[in-house]
Amino acid sequence: MAQSNFDRRRINGPEESFLPIFDSDEEEETRWKPGNPRIGRGARDIRPIFLKAGLINQANGSAYIETEKTKIACAVYGPRQSKSTTYNEKGRLNVEVKFAPFSCTRRRVPIRDAEDRSVAVQIQQALVPAVRLELLPKSTIDIFITIIENDGMEGCIASGSVAASAALADAGIEMLGLVASCSAAVVGKEIWLDPTEEEGKVSSGTLILAGMPALETITSVWQSGSMTPTDAIKCMEACQERYMDIHAVAAQALLQNAQNT
Amino acid sequence: MAAVSLSKSERAYIQSSLKAHPPLRADGRGLLDFRTVLLETGVAPLANGSARLNIGKMAREGGGGTEVVAAVKLEVEDVETGDGVDGGRVVCSVTCSPAAYSHLSSNALDELQHDLSVILQQTIAHPTLHPTLHPKNLTIIPRKKAWLLNLDAVVLADAGNVVDALFMAARAALWDAKVPRTRAVQYRAPETLKSPRNDAPGAMDVDEGTSGFDTRDMARTAADFELPDYWDEGEVLDGRDKWPICVTLNLLPSVHLLDATLAEEASIPLRLHLMFSFAPSAPPILQSMRLLGPAELELKDLKDSIAVGERYAKELFTALESKLREEDNRRNIKARDRFALMR
Repeated sequence: MAQSNFDRRRINGPEESFLPIFDSDEEEETRWKPGNPRIGRGARDIRPIFLKAGLINQANGSAYIETEKTKIACAVYGPRQSKSTTYNEKGRLNVEVKFAPFSCTRRRVPIRDAEDRSVAVQIQQALVPAVRLELLPKSTIDIFITIIENDGMEGCIASGSVAASAALADAGIEMLGLVASCSAAVVGKEIWLDPTEEEGKVSSGTLILAGMPALETITSVWQSGSMTPTDAIKCMEACQERYMDIHAVAAQALLQNAQNT
Repeated sequence: MAAVSLSKSERAYIQSSLKAHPPLRADGRGLLDFRTVLLETGVAPLANGSARLNIGKMAREGGGGTEVVAAVKLEVEDVETGDGVDGGRVVCSVTCSPAAYSHLSSNALDELQHDLSVILQQTIAHPTLHPTLHPKNLTIIPRKKAWLLNLDAVVLADAGNVVDALFMAARAALWDAKVPRTRAVQYRAPETLKSPRNDAPGAMDVDEGTSGFDTRDMARTAADFELPDYWDEGEVLDGRDKWPICVTLNLLPSVHLLDATLAEEASIPLRLHLMFSFAPSAPPILQSMRLLGPAELELKDLKDSIAVGERYAKELFTALESKLREEDNRRNIKARDRFALMR
């Protein structure tokens, strides 16, 4: 009889699998070594963003964001009636995140698991202070985020927040401002913005900052790994400088969408 | 996490009393005063290390306050065929007792448990390569067997400030944790005692010709290990002075609070969790930082909060450290003296 992880509804692959062994690893020369500058971009450069709103017609609002290898689709349904019978004076913002099984190097299970929830919590924290929930009593806004390809968890969370904020604007939900979000990593003595998965692995600490550039306030900070408080402050300042540009990209995408419809 | 549901006027009342001059709190404390913290280590005899922490227990009534029990349990993992990682790994989990959160449904309780576990796991066992916090003595046989350190915390009661309590209890349990000594890596039996021990299952085949001081061959050929002394608790877990503690700042636009009660947590929308680690010869390191709550904040306020939080964390750390040393003293040296007197 098969062990656990046997999924009756799907065609299961072999229980154990091993990577083939290659003779030589060509990437060794191009791999980053401590002391070297960043490969491919400047230390403070973020990956170029492609953001388009209004791609999912069925939803009230939607957005698709792509930054090099990270691809995220976001759909917003709402405001719709709350399923609970208790009276909520303020609306509820419900964020659900799902990593597609093919999005990461190792296959992820098709059902929601623990890591999906922690990403959802962070994105919710970034968005909740920005949405005017007090105007929507007894309502729920559902945000569904699907991560189609994942290159760096911090980048996913940051791009997910930006996509969700653009989708909320596309749905016509009142907000205090567009939310922009940027991630940073401390690598050696330098601060690199928007780390990819490989860069995140060689860093000693990462920080994700989300806020509203229009009001110059911060809605969410999430720092993990070890860094000195001064490094953390430098990361936050670098992120804050950069997310003005991200805000411009989101605003431009929304404007184009509005002009086309 | 608030069990209290407050009306708007109560909330406004609490907020205005905190912003008044001088600031007033319901129990008469200052803004930066902690409630009494009670700590005891070694509460779970079957665990490798444990601690019980209570913040705000009322002396006369004998109950109340935020109570957390944390315990460290070590398991052996196989690196090649199992989930083990060479060098050992640390897994943290938090369970919230339903008695503490009777107002939450079981789904909401699961979510709360998961969120607290994630905060603890990502701070203490951060999955990056940089192993500043990773203890060095979790290896049994290099590349073959390693210890899995399970840090489990149970929240028995919540009267506010549960995250600070969790981190303090976790640090105390990790301080108290002892790793059993294993033979393949650390202890080499003297030549004369070798024969009686060799009939134990899985005993090592030691070459006759090698020198007693050459342990390289042993580590390579050893496929198993033994505990040389079953009753020995072992050596202290490495890195005990680097485990982080958490300071939660509840932020109102003009003031900040430490150690909020449930009502205060419900009235103050914004919370900043700062986890600092103060290794003795290194500058203070920020292990983790979380901003929670449906409110926003400016960058300069955040910077001030970090600076001020570092000072509070340092005081908390010093107080906790002196208490932990006192606990060590009470359980080991004083107990030994008392036993010696009785004999």
